Amino acid sequence: MKYLLLAGAALATLAAALLLGPANVPLADLASSAIVWQLRLPRAVLAFLVGGALGVAGTSLQALVRNPLADPFLLGLSGGAGLGAVAAIALHLPGPWALPLAAFVGAVGAMALVYRLGLMGGAELDPRILLLGGVAVGAFAAAVTTALVSLAQATELRNAFLWLWGGFSGASWTTVLVMLAYAPLPLGVLAAAARPLDLLALGEEPAQYLGADVRRLKRVVYLAASLLTAAAVAVSGVIGFVGLVVPHVCRLVWGRLHRTLLPTAFLTGGILLAAADTLARTVVAPRELPVGIVTALIGVPVFAFLLRRWTVG
Amino acid sequence: MRRWTVRTHLAGLVALAAAACARGERAPAAGPAIIDDADRRVTLAAPARRIVSLLPSFTEMLFAIGAGDRLVGRTAWCDYPPAALAVPSVGDGIPPNVEAVAARRPDLVVLYRSGPNATAAEQLERLGIRTVLFDLNRLEELAPAARRLGVLTGRKAAGDSLARAMDSLVSQSPESPTPSRKSLVFVVWDNPPIVIGAGSYLDRLAGLAGARNVFHDIAAPSAQVSIETIAARNPDFIAVLSDTAAPPRYAGRPEWRVVPAVRKGRFLVLPGGLFGRPGPRAAEAVRELRRRLETTP
Repeated sequence: MKYLLLAGAALATLAAALLLGPANVPLADLASSAIVWQLRLPRAVLAFLVGGALGVAGTSLQALVRNPLADPFLLGLSGGAGLGAVAAIALHLPGPWALPLAAFVGAVGAMALVYRLGLMGGAELDPRILLLGGVAVGAFAAAVTTALVSLAQATELRNAFLWLWGGFSGASWTTVLVMLAYAPLPLGVLAAAARPLDLLALGEEPAQYLGADVRRLKRVVYLAASLLTAAAVAVSGVIGFVGLVVPHVCRLVWGRLHRTLLPTAFLTGGILLAAADTLARTVVAPRELPVGIVTALIGVPVFAFLLRRWTVG
Repeated sequence: MRRWTVRTHLAGLVALAAAACARGERAPAAGPAIIDDADRRVTLAAPARRIVSLLPSFTEMLFAIGAGDRLVGRTAWCDYPPAALAVPSVGDGIPPNVEAVAARRPDLVVLYRSGPNATAAEQLERLGIRTVLFDLNRLEELAPAARRLGVLTGRKAAGDSLARAMDSLVSQSPESPTPSRKSLVFVVWDNPPIVIGAGSYLDRLAGLAGARNVFHDIAAPSAQVSIETIAARNPDFIAVLSDTAAPPRYAGRPEWRVVPAVRKGRFLVLPGGLFGRPGPRAAEAVRELRRRLETTP
């Protein structure tokens, strides 16, 4: 029943995203309108995919580092992506894909550095070092970014920050296709790790005794979740909060088994972000709100309500 | 311990009061005096002789009223008139490098009124350097600024004459809206799309050139909107401020091609030096925009 409701909510959100918008498109013209086919639909689908990717990445990372505060962007990825984006603008890299590609490369670079740091304490990927290393690498990248922005005399650089704050203005069928071609692999890898991730919740040693290859699991999950997040940042910038809150909401509603947690996190993340983007486009029309503000405005009260029910129950 | 701090505090107050008296004595009533846009009374002992300008518009205005030779510092952005380039730069001015400004030993620093600039002005005043803060977001604010710069530099006649020219430009009644009037949107940034609203001088510039800004209903100088809104408002032209004549890089992107003017390539690429700031050349900018509107297919 809960699953049917979730699927229904996903369809309703996507339908609302198609029907609502600052431009007035009559219902009769819905099927032939370029605004609907070229702007609203790709934008809604992209928001849904990115929300889903962030939800799944957040769920797996929280299980991996066994820390409820883990967020896909906590592990240095947003800092790396920001550095990449600003470098692309500062170096005047040409082409429409320069900025997202550079952000992706920056995020993957930060990920590699954090991964390397995590391996330093012996052969194990230590979750504590992952967290600390992520924060440190992120802070360092952010410092270099700010230095670049304040030293280089280009007004354009300031606008790189606008892009980084996240949003789906750049959504088109091309970005949707890129995400559709890219996301299934890391998503599949994470789905395959659902059972060992359950075992990991018992602790690394018990998980090992129960038959999970903990060392390999940690590496695979970290890389897959980070690569998923890097793709999300490349197509939409840094959208906070989804990856932090969605896993908690899903765990409260559906329990702790990753076999159900991962797909529901995908759908919940997608619904949250697609709905947030629809609100961002419509509530202050003709202006538009940055979507990250809307995710926080919807997400925090829902989160607080669930936390209260959880602690009272 | 507590009494000691109170006592030093008192001593500080006395010193401050003495300093204030001394300053009051030093400024004779005969020197130039104005009220700036931060509601501060700015008095000088004599017309300013060493001026640092921290906004390209002020630099242009100072040259226009014949006080360009008094400039001893400018921002990295001040590139007009060409003579301005001979003046030493004190950095990009966002926020002002107070030390670099003070090192030019100015007797007047002209700043655009903003939070960081007000802080910098306070710091400069503490060093004994007089500062003046002017608003300059709209064309209507050019004339009062020109008038007061004229007073502060002792070139009142030139300042008033520039102010009159600016006033007469602004008071031209914008052509009555007719169906044939061209419409445009100023796109400042593409992702997220940022456009110019009624709070900016560019909105007025478009009106004076006989065009209609389709985002005139947004009161702010600029705002984030969605491509969908731009498409729905269907402007005849996309106006872009750029130093290269090429159409912007987003012109070929599929999501932007939903906007008819983008699809038809109807871009007005306006030189950033002339259109990027309100200043004495506003009339020239209006003429240039009108010419582009008439000649661009």
